[in-house]
Amino acid sequence: MIADMPNPSAPDEHAPLADRQRLAALERITDAALSSLSIDQLLRELLYRISDILGSDTAAILLLDESGRLLHARAAKGIEEEVEQGVKIPVGRGFAGRIAAERRAIFIEDVDHADILNPILREKGIRSLLGVPLLVEQRVLGVLHIGSLVPRSFTAGEAALLQLAADRAAIAIEHATLYEQRQLAEQLQRRLLPTDLPATAGLQLASRYLPASQESLGGDWYDAFAIGSGQVIVAIGDVVGHGIPAAAVMAQLRTALRAYAVEGHAPGEVLELVNRLMTGLGPRAMTTLAYAAIDSERAALELVVAGHPPPLLIPAAGEPSFLEAAAGMPLGVSELARYRAQTFAFEPGATLLLYTDGLVETRSEPIDAGLKRLRELAVGNGGVEALCARIVSRLVPSRRHDDVAMLAARVEPVPEQLSGSWPAERNVLAGVRQMLRRWLLTRGATADEIYDIVVACQEACANAVEHAYRPGRHSFELDATYDGGCVRVTIRDQGRWRPPRGTHRGRGVMMMRGLMDSVDIEHTDEGTTVVLERMLEAKAA
Amino acid sequence: MSLLARVVEAQGGDVAVAAVEGEVDSSNVREVGQRLRALLTNRSTELVVDLTGTTYIDSAGINLLFELAGELTDRQQRLQLVVPASTPVLRMLTIAGLTEAVATHDTRAAALAPPG
Repeated sequence: MIADMPNPSAPDEHAPLADRQRLAALERITDAALSSLSIDQLLRELLYRISDILGSDTAAILLLDESGRLLHARAAKGIEEEVEQGVKIPVGRGFAGRIAAERRAIFIEDVDHADILNPILREKGIRSLLGVPLLVEQRVLGVLHIGSLVPRSFTAGEAALLQLAADRAAIAIEHATLYEQRQLAEQLQRRLLPTDLPATAGLQLASRYLPASQESLGGDWYDAFAIGSGQVIVAIGDVVGHGIPAAAVMAQLRTALRAYAVEGHAPGEVLELVNRLMTGLGPRAMTTLAYAAIDSERAALELVVAGHPPPLLIPAAGEPSFLEAAAGMPLGVSELARYRAQTFAFEPGATLLLYTDGLVETRSEPIDAGLKRLRELAVGNGGVEALCARIVSRLVPSRRHDDVAMLAARVEPVPEQLSGSWPAERNVLAGVRQMLRRWLLTRGATADEIYDIVVACQEACANAVEHAYRPGRHSFELDATYDGGCVRVTIRDQGRWRPPRGTHRGRGVMMMRGLMDSVDIEHTDEGTTVVLERMLEAKAA
Repeated sequence: MSLLARVVEAQGGDVAVAAVEGEVDSSNVREVGQRLRALLTNRSTELVVDLTGTTYIDSAGINLLFELAGELTDRQQRLQLVVPASTPVLRMLTIAGLTEAVATHDTRAAALAPPG
């Protein structure tokens, strides 16, 4: 039979001595030693203490899952199979399910005849069961039950004790769960941020991510990556919600954004495609976003904004200004939303600062005041790291109610003379090309001249990479000067070029000779030096 | 495939058509080559490589095209290229002598038009 506990009263001074001793023992249930345990260790420790105090043979804790419809066996003593077999009990059914649904203690005197869903309880030979709900602020977290292998009639006092233990345990479980979720969400979120910002010739990048001080994490996120066209994409967003659900949306957003951008879609299209994807994911997948495609070769950036605060443009000289692009709706709100990119000049020496609202919005102050302070701080010609450091130290409180994220990108000024050293690896070639193109553009070379000179230099660089066949780390150096209308590029490596072999060997040298006015190749024991020269038309005329 | 270039297959079957978009250099030429070769079947008579969207090519890419032309000829198949006139890419192919060895057309339509 199932007996409902008739209004169990808390043990008081009239309770038997044993009960009062038990009550004292209960105090230990939430002592300091427990606070450092993981949730699984905590649950196990709680069960041992509870079954010790109440002298039970078995004890188990089942926790409600996210759906709120199933109880999962999370910890057990004496009936460990419950956890090992992943027992799940629907709320409202069976012994534990009824306790959760009805939020009250249930006592089963004789298990054999009772409504028991879980065969493990019967197989173990449990004769009597007493269970209570785990409640925090009227919310059911789960169920705690104890059992006896001999028929036992739990007293009202014992039921009250178990409920007291459950109340204390519930608070400890709630804290541990929140803490663990926050840890997990923070780890997840950090993994979704780029570990290395792309090293692109001519562009300096720096970023900061500072999680909120509270238990729940915000949904701030950023990304930076190079796409094939030589552009660098920088993006920052604030996903609606927090914790693990927000991190899950972030992961999808990051993948979608990268995929569409790499496919070669223009910025406005990328946002429209991501928006369509996110509206399809359901009402919870919403985010603000500022997305910029930086083309340092053309000294321009394309910006699209979806419900996000305006990025700040800090010119090399003069006043910073917010880029007021026509802001579309946040992503994931409406399938019909349209996003238009706007192009802004992005001159060498200028810095683009993307940030999230946590930087400019505080509880005590309107957003305009925060924007004004940010603009006042964002001056000076220091590097992007120094800029981020200054902004964090001046604008971000150590206790903050929201995440703060920022990403700064600065176009390096083009030097008079190019000079650099690179590892002799194929994947550096594209970056060298881009740097050369920018430099040649500022020297007044035409598009055709740029193409020719870049190909010729690449042939020499590619040879340096190909011939770095001796063991050890290899590098090559490139210097470029412009004098009297003549571009002179010198490429040095430590390798010995092999004599041309096969049909295609030597085509690189042939290309160099076809594209430049003069090609000088010198082999020594130390390595190979190639000097390429070409007069620029505009100056030669 | 690296982010520098992508191979867009436009047509399969007897006449395979593919566009190479982006930049081809020694870092990605092997992958580009694999993609192009994968389009050919035993029934293929022809491969048309459209370089209209190719923004950079140097001897690494040009060597690949020479190799492809040789392989196709050995199998009694044919390579044709699409390169718009007066583009830097056409200049590179010309300097390397590839336009002498491989049929090169202004447009894809011209490459696909029946001979005669």
